[in-house]
Amino acid sequence: MSNKTDSNVYTILFAIGMVVVVGTLLAFTAASLKPNIAENVRLEKQQNILYAMGVNENDESSAVFVDKAQAPELFKQYITKQLVIQGDDISEDDEAYLIDIKKQKAIGKDDPSKRKLPLFVGEKDGKTYYVAPIYGKGLWDAIWGYVSMDENMVVQGAYFDHKGETPGLGANIKERFFMDDFIGEHLLGDNGTFKGIDVAKGNADPKNENKTDNEVDAIAGATITGNGVTAMIKSDLKLYKPYFDNLKNN
Amino acid sequence: MGLLSKKDAKLITDPLADNNPITIQVLGICSALAITAELKASIVMAISVLFVLGVGNVVISLMRNIIPSKIRIIVQLTVVAALVIIVDQVLKAFAYELSKTLSVFVGLIITNCIIMGRFEAFALGNGPWKSFLDGIGNALGYGVILIIVGFFRELLGSGTLLGFKVLGDPIEKTGLYAIGYENNGFMLLSPMALIVVGIIIWVQRSRNKELIED
Amino acid sequence: MEHIELFFKSIFIDNMVFATFLGMCSYLAVSKKVSTAVGLGAAVIFVLAVTVPVNWLLDQYILQPGALKWLGAEYADYDLSFLSFIMFIATIATMVQLVEIVVEKFSPSLYNSLGIFLPLIAVNCAILGGSLFMQSREIETIGLAFNYGFSSGIGWFLAILAIAAIREKIRYSNVPAPLRGLGITFIITGLMAIGFMSFGGMLTGGDDEGKEETQTAKVEQVNENEDNKLAENTTTINE
Repeated sequence: MSNKTDSNVYTILFAIGMVVVVGTLLAFTAASLKPNIAENVRLEKQQNILYAMGVNENDESSAVFVDKAQAPELFKQYITKQLVIQGDDISEDDEAYLIDIKKQKAIGKDDPSKRKLPLFVGEKDGKTYYVAPIYGKGLWDAIWGYVSMDENMVVQGAYFDHKGETPGLGANIKERFFMDDFIGEHLLGDNGTFKGIDVAKGNADPKNENKTDNEVDAIAGATITGNGVTAMIKSDLKLYKPYFDNLKNN
Repeated sequence: MGLLSKKDAKLITDPLADNNPITIQVLGICSALAITAELKASIVMAISVLFVLGVGNVVISLMRNIIPSKIRIIVQLTVVAALVIIVDQVLKAFAYELSKTLSVFVGLIITNCIIMGRFEAFALGNGPWKSFLDGIGNALGYGVILIIVGFFRELLGSGTLLGFKVLGDPIEKTGLYAIGYENNGFMLLSPMALIVVGIIIWVQRSRNKELIED
Repeated sequence: MEHIELFFKSIFIDNMVFATFLGMCSYLAVSKKVSTAVGLGAAVIFVLAVTVPVNWLLDQYILQPGALKWLGAEYADYDLSFLSFIMFIATIATMVQLVEIVVEKFSPSLYNSLGIFLPLIAVNCAILGGSLFMQSREIETIGLAFNYGFSSGIGWFLAILAIAAIREKIRYSNVPAPLRGLGITFIITGLMAIGFMSFGGMLTGGDDEGKEETQTAKVEQVNENEDNKLAENTTTINE
């Protein structure tokens, strides 16, 4: 190191210069790529929702979405209505799928009646699907997903995703063997109250043949992520219960 | 190795065994433990580090004469972080699927002390070409250990390799499971990674007695 | 109550070294002697206790989506969260170097005993991990953020102190030559981590009803019985 680089003035100038250069570089990349990223995120949400209601290209064991290019078209074709439930109001909104669940959850904490709950009503082969988004926390970071139900709140399909769960353990919530376990599970208990689905350890039913036990088998070594899934299903899907009650009564 | 002089080649081969970043230099342990439950994740991480360390070492080496020593840590960290964030953003925009697989690793790469360690120990004092080789060599040495640990943890923990059920199906009781073999779920937990690395050190040092500590 | 719970949770259940495996490199490299381990541990406590609240402020008022609201309504839409990594790292590195300069100026004796460890801390991933966990776990107040940083630091301190003490004693044991030093340290740490997992049961008992959401979020690794068996092994080693 020469003496020149040790002086205070040089240090400060260098620091300022670096902040400016790195800052501009990052801001420039972020700003110029923003539209592309937003578009990717938008298409992914459509793919996720379609996946949950069974519109996908799954082969034997891997989860495959519909083609990105076709997603908007298929989304229009299969999703008949996009609803926003806010307190007692129900309105239609064509951009309901873009609602930020994390933000709404924060709003709901202060005033539950202000929280916007998106619900996507889809139709496939003459059957009606209700797809609801869920959001929660895993071991390291956020986890989220979409669950499609029929009018009795029986799960028809589920898609889970995560930001940074441990590969091989918690990250497996987005694998078929885990997501497919949810299909056919009942969200309501025997007496019609909301019970949710537990991701249970030491489950007596590892092949998941009993669909009314409100339990699916947990992933070994991923207890906290599994608990996160249980928690988000319970807290978020519960809010849709009144809607389904109404649906039945009318 | 016709392209490389003997000295340069040593920069690559040394970290593979006798100066391995994980087992000898004790760098980059955190990530070696966090992501090795699965072979695939180990491979992805190894490749990412190869890229970041190679490029990062060159950048730091080019800047080595103008970095003020008082704030060199900030400068180094900023360079890695900026590099990783830019790559992450570009991938998000143009290769979204790939970026989703890699997003988990972004944080782990930035906090990976192997990167800082090599900047500090090598790139600050050597030219770009040598630094590049040093980066590649160390990243390879790191990757080798990661892949070994990932291999054993996935094989013994879930009975699969890269997701393929090599030992048969534990629920249907086929293959090895038919004669009563059980997966050792314990291997999936992170503490077992420490023990596997410990055993690797044992094997390595019994083969090369010079490495034994007193 | 919230504070006490977070305090114990961060020290034992979410122990930086044994549960999340952060800060491993300096943990393994600087644990040969108890005295140096204490120095580094103290420095980590201090830096974590300072950087987590500072980064909490940064996160709340600059980085989060909508965090720039205080500048005026037109800034409410900005989302600078992609800058978190670099901002957190900059804070940490600045803090570490600031501390280094201050200590060097005002207490040369402390600097001599601590000085060499300070630069090491900036690369200690436990520090950045602390800030990132603070962000992803959505810690609510600055008080809790301080508590979180401080108690995570204590957890790290305990861990390095324990391993250093074991390593001082194990020098007199007849460990197979190739395992001596680093190898046995790895294995002991693994056993200690398995032992620490049994703390996971601590906060899972109690009332399930009522605060469902917070409760489940706090439920930590409940482990099978085999952990307890191995925990016993660890205690024997500790002795």
